[in-house]
Amino acid sequence: MKHDDPKMIDALAAEYVLGTLSGRARRHFERWRSKEWHVERRVQAWEERLAGLALRLSPMRPSPHVWSQIEKRIGANAGARSTPPPRQRVAPWQAIAASVALLAVLVGGFFTYRSVVGPDLLALATVTAPNATESSWILSADADLRHLRARAGGGARAQAGKSYELWALPDSGAAPVSLGVIPAVGEIDRELTDAQRLALRGASKVAVSLEAEGGSTTGAPGQVLFVADRIKRA
Amino acid sequence: MAPNAPQNSAGRSPVAAPDVDADDLELTRLIAACAERNSQALRQLYDRTAPQLLACMVRILKRRALAEEALQDVFVSIWQRASQFESRRGRPRAWLMSIARYRAIDVLRSERAELYREAEIEQLPQLVTEGGMDWAGAGRSAAALARCFELLSPDQRRGIELAFVEGASHADIARVTHQPLGTVKSWIRRGLGSLRQCLER
Repeated sequence: MKHDDPKMIDALAAEYVLGTLSGRARRHFERWRSKEWHVERRVQAWEERLAGLALRLSPMRPSPHVWSQIEKRIGANAGARSTPPPRQRVAPWQAIAASVALLAVLVGGFFTYRSVVGPDLLALATVTAPNATESSWILSADADLRHLRARAGGGARAQAGKSYELWALPDSGAAPVSLGVIPAVGEIDRELTDAQRLALRGASKVAVSLEAEGGSTTGAPGQVLFVADRIKRA
Repeated sequence: MAPNAPQNSAGRSPVAAPDVDADDLELTRLIAACAERNSQALRQLYDRTAPQLLACMVRILKRRALAEEALQDVFVSIWQRASQFESRRGRPRAWLMSIARYRAIDVLRSERAELYREAEIEQLPQLVTEGGMDWAGAGRSAAALARCFELLSPDQRRGIELAFVEGASHADIARVTHQPLGTVKSWIRRGLGSLRQCLER
């Protein structure tokens, strides 16, 4: 495939937007699009050209449970914020605080964020990349491992068309068990199923993988980015 | 491939967009508020756009339950990616629609859709002007699209519409139209080329 031919790029962008570019070619194009602005621009042009074709459909009202699930997944159910929080610009003191926290994690290995997660949830694991520009999460759970919270740290980055997914890695060597998609921004609260709880109980490590948007479709992790130790509880 | 859809039970007229620019501005404002982690803004965005996105996803996935599950993914994704919209400076409805369509297409081509194969076929949302070309409800830029779409050959139109609206693959279209795969691919390629030329004029 010639990658520098504008006609070819445009034809691929059109078929990508249309949906007829499929399989590996589609995945490949998605990665290319997220890296190259000139490719992205052509995709956007086609998205805008063709959108009108689908805007002609008569609308359908979603069932009420759809919104409550979304609310749960973005972690907005506990007292939705009606006013925007302060801008996410990083003040110098915050940058310093973040570096200190990162250093503590790197040096100490584990870090207990009791003060951050509140009395009911205990730190479960901290997923931290060796370099500060990479994503990191603080994971916590209640004593019974029924309730999981994943909070994205300062270095977490959203990637177009991608999702991060959390996995329990059972000590038995059994296949990783998905604990669901975790956000690159903000936090998410989730009730774990019995199967997830069992897997987590028998796992001393967790992993975060990079998946196509919405999470793994195969039931197995795609590209594993981070593996972290589960914090042992007294 | 899509069964001839019965009238949508809601039977409502399309979302009228008399003032598209005001709609764009409001959606852009809501997306920016989502980037600031304002979940109320996501709710408002949902109220304004979810029915339209769901219609598009049901038409692709043919199963309401599957489409509603995928719609959740779409809004979680909008929440996560809201800050990326700012840099793009495009039209918000096209952006939202793309996120929804790509998600639906991915689900359609994944094994997940297999789980729902046996399920009862749902009522599909109607193309509001099935057969006709009155696209007023779809906004101003749609008028140009409608005009250019008319200039395509009937085969090109049908191929592009099956792909875009129904999520059909090249092979699906070849099956439905009883044409060789190569012919279908060339209809679509040429159709898209003509559409682009016409829209840039």
